[in-house]
Amino acid sequence: MLLEIKDLFKWVNSGGNRIFLLNDIELTVNEGDFISIMGPSGSGKTTLLNVIGMLDDFNEGEYNFLHEPVHTLKEKYRANLYKEYIGFVFQSYHLIDELTVYENIETPLLYKKCSSAERKAMVADMLDRFNIVGKKDLFPAQLSGGQQQLVGIARALITNPKLILADEPTGNLNSKQGEEIMNLFKQLNDEGVTIIQVTHSEKNATYGSRIINLLDGRIV
Amino acid sequence: MIKNYFKIAIRNLWKHKAFSFINIFGLSVGMTACFLIFLYVNFEISYDDFHSKEDRIYRVVADIKTPTETINGNGPSWAVPPHISEFPEVSAAVRVLSDVILFKKDNLTFNETESLWADADFFTVFDYKLLKGNPLTVLKDPFSIVLSESSAKKYFGDTDPIGQVIQIADDAFPSTVTGIMEDIPVNSQIQGEVVISMTTITKKFAEGVDNQWGNYGPFAYLLLKPGTNAEGLESKFPAFLEKWSGKEMSKSQMFPTLLLEPLKDVYLKSDRGGFVTGNIKNVYVFSIVAILILLIACINFVNLTTARSSERAKEVGIRKVVGAAKFQLARQFIGESVLISLIAFLLTLVVSSLLLSSFNQLAGKTISQGIFETPQYTLLLFLTAIGIGLLAGIYPALILSSFKSTTVLKGRFSTGTKGVFLRKSLVISQFTISIALIIGTIVVYSQMSYMGNRDLGFKKDQILVLDTNSDKNRDVLKQTISGLSNIKNVSLSSSVPGTGNPAAYSEIENIKGDLQVANLDLYFVDFDYISLFDIQLVAGRPFSREFKTDNTQAMVLNEAAVKMFGYSSPEQAIGKRFKQWGREGKIIGIIKDFHFQSLKNPIKPLSMRIEPDRNDYLSINVPSSNLASTLAAVEEEWKKIIPNKPFSYYFLDEFFSRQYKSEEQFGKLFLNFALLAIFLSCLGLLGLASYTTMQRTKEIGIRKVMGASVSSILNLLSRDFLKLVAISFFVAAPISWYFMQEWLMDFAYRTTIGWWVFIVAGVIAMLIALITVSFQALKAAIANPIKSLKTE
Repeated sequence: MLLEIKDLFKWVNSGGNRIFLLNDIELTVNEGDFISIMGPSGSGKTTLLNVIGMLDDFNEGEYNFLHEPVHTLKEKYRANLYKEYIGFVFQSYHLIDELTVYENIETPLLYKKCSSAERKAMVADMLDRFNIVGKKDLFPAQLSGGQQQLVGIARALITNPKLILADEPTGNLNSKQGEEIMNLFKQLNDEGVTIIQVTHSEKNATYGSRIINLLDGRIV
Repeated sequence: MIKNYFKIAIRNLWKHKAFSFINIFGLSVGMTACFLIFLYVNFEISYDDFHSKEDRIYRVVADIKTPTETINGNGPSWAVPPHISEFPEVSAAVRVLSDVILFKKDNLTFNETESLWADADFFTVFDYKLLKGNPLTVLKDPFSIVLSESSAKKYFGDTDPIGQVIQIADDAFPSTVTGIMEDIPVNSQIQGEVVISMTTITKKFAEGVDNQWGNYGPFAYLLLKPGTNAEGLESKFPAFLEKWSGKEMSKSQMFPTLLLEPLKDVYLKSDRGGFVTGNIKNVYVFSIVAILILLIACINFVNLTTARSSERAKEVGIRKVVGAAKFQLARQFIGESVLISLIAFLLTLVVSSLLLSSFNQLAGKTISQGIFETPQYTLLLFLTAIGIGLLAGIYPALILSSFKSTTVLKGRFSTGTKGVFLRKSLVISQFTISIALIIGTIVVYSQMSYMGNRDLGFKKDQILVLDTNSDKNRDVLKQTISGLSNIKNVSLSSSVPGTGNPAAYSEIENIKGDLQVANLDLYFVDFDYISLFDIQLVAGRPFSREFKTDNTQAMVLNEAAVKMFGYSSPEQAIGKRFKQWGREGKIIGIIKDFHFQSLKNPIKPLSMRIEPDRNDYLSINVPSSNLASTLAAVEEEWKKIIPNKPFSYYFLDEFFSRQYKSEEQFGKLFLNFALLAIFLSCLGLLGLASYTTMQRTKEIGIRKVMGASVSSILNLLSRDFLKLVAISFFVAAPISWYFMQEWLMDFAYRTTIGWWVFIVAGVIAMLIALITVSFQALKAAIANPIKSLKTE
């Protein structure tokens, strides 16, 4: 078991009313799973993903990640946890515009204790694996959307995470690019990486082994 | 990691060139101003610190109490220094007198305007280095001369001057060069090109002066034994004076008090004059100004960086997601700000070395030869730059690094109200400083113009003044020059307004009929003086050749003197008795008060008498046309009649206003720094305005679609900033009013700070701010709304 969520609630107060963003979520994810989260806009998909990624907190409930009780952990320890085990992929790629492909992929390593030689080797491996060696000195603005997302995934993978969280990874891509990215995810999953993706597309959801449907913050 | 930070910082700077320019340029301008002022202040407080015995050297000054007033004198009487050695605490006493002496070597004559007479211990008490000669003996014998290195070169070129003979004074006394000293450093309160042994005066020219207790003159310096308590010594002086000159004091009714001034306080803090004097007030004022300007520059920096933070927000979010801790991000942003300040540091070095020579000119002396002369200052600047980078970087760094990654990565992100209050208050403080400096500048300049335009009570235009140095042929010169065509009027006198004048122990019959003792300022004049200077007579008559007695037994007083002796109208004083410096007679006329000293001082009681022996200055009323030929004619006569002295002249109006040189300099510096402050503030405002305008692009687009006109948009965008300037104005006005009122207190005759000063300053600041802001606002207001809304 990779992570386990029990009786999780998240809400905001708006004009005296309590609005539930996540409502009584129960979820267990095992290593090697490929889960797709689906639901209409505003149903809480991204919020759930952020909670799983420890970027967002929640108001009530339990969340155990690799048997660590996340809800009781201190901020700093929590950061170490996700830094170690989780990689993020975004719909709009979120590469740093001022850094080259190479430097973007290298960034996560800067925040881990990695020697410069190690970093070089790891980034070179990654570039090689994704066939983007020739683009390593380009800036994000010089790449197509598919290529940017490839860099985004490379950056997520550089730290060898156990879990990849992808928020509509193909949302900004055309169908051909989207398919390539989904195949890549499939391949990664086959290699043993656990993946949780948020998607609107039925087709993309079929790449996964399990689908969770959300509505108004509840799993249905 | 550092490399990565560095790269991103450089690329960011490059990408946002305008912001980077404002940041770096603004900061380096501020740092340059601050650095130059630092050099100036440091130079001012460095006066006399090269004397190794600095903390044991004291200047002795004498306050003199007369029955009517207490005079803040400077030097004690001639007899004090030779006798003061009877105190065991005193290890040496040196009198130093500055003088203008005519030097003659072969056919060369020079009027040495910076000559000094000094006692034998001069070179042992002070650390003026002798290149040749024995410090113990160079000034021992009469007619010994020590030349500075550069004046030695002037007289002797490359030949060895030691033992050579130079003729001094009018009567050409042969004197021997006994030593060569290094040129006296600029930061010395005693300045001189040549030093002549004091024994020349005390043993040859004025024998017995060493025992004259009532004759005041030279400055005197004491070297105390180590561990001496100066105050303790000071308290023994009254008994010392009583012992030596008690009888003389009660006879002359002049009671001196001897005081000791530590050498290091004399230049900046003493108000008793000196060879060169500084002003501790200026040091304070400029230190404050420097800090304020640096503050403005730093505020720009903080403001622009925080305002721009939303642009960096995405990067912050990503970095956080990939594992950056808050402190790592903070470190990155602080590092960037340090980088900017270091670039500014380099620019500062370049700019200040370029500006140094003009700054030296502005300050009126060579404050620094080059900024790299003193590497420790450069190091200090470097450290300051890093400090500024750290301080200015902390706040933006904390703001940036505390962004929540989930919010910033959601897409649209606005800084919201975070930091807005801070930014507003920072802009207010910038403009408060700027407006205060503008008000200060206007007040300084209106005081200058007030002094320039005030009726001084005498004619100061078209008057040429020659200093005859009491030459024996001066009367002949006067006769000849008055005979020249074009010349309207000529007069010889001991003083002209602005030169300073003697003061005399005088006894004048007062309203009660008693002879009242007073220390009266005194002008020795001739029959033509009052008419030449167009001084108004209010009672009696001026000096006249028709009265034989006028030569020795007549005195003219001014109105202030009449008042001092108790008369209610000038007429009452006519015909009253006077006694002064061995002459007695009657008061024949009363003149209207005129400003014989600068407007900083009130008009003091003044007496005028005829005494041809004391005359020195030849004043010539020249016509305004053909000035050059008139001047040439005068010079020709001078060369015929006084061939052994160089011809030197000045115009009275220029000379009189030279008394305000330090005020003028103060004003100029003030103006420059005020301009700088407002410039920097506007630079910051420009950056901030362009930023907020950019942020409100969407709002402007919507408003325009709804039908808002360009002018209403302009109004919308400018109003907020103008409000800030208005607030600044109300903060700055009372503060600057208070401080400038204090400044004006130094002037006995001063302008009033009218309400228009504030109006003008406020309008100037408003206008400049408006222009700055509307430049950006206009661009946004006339933009096509479709474009700005499409980006959504």
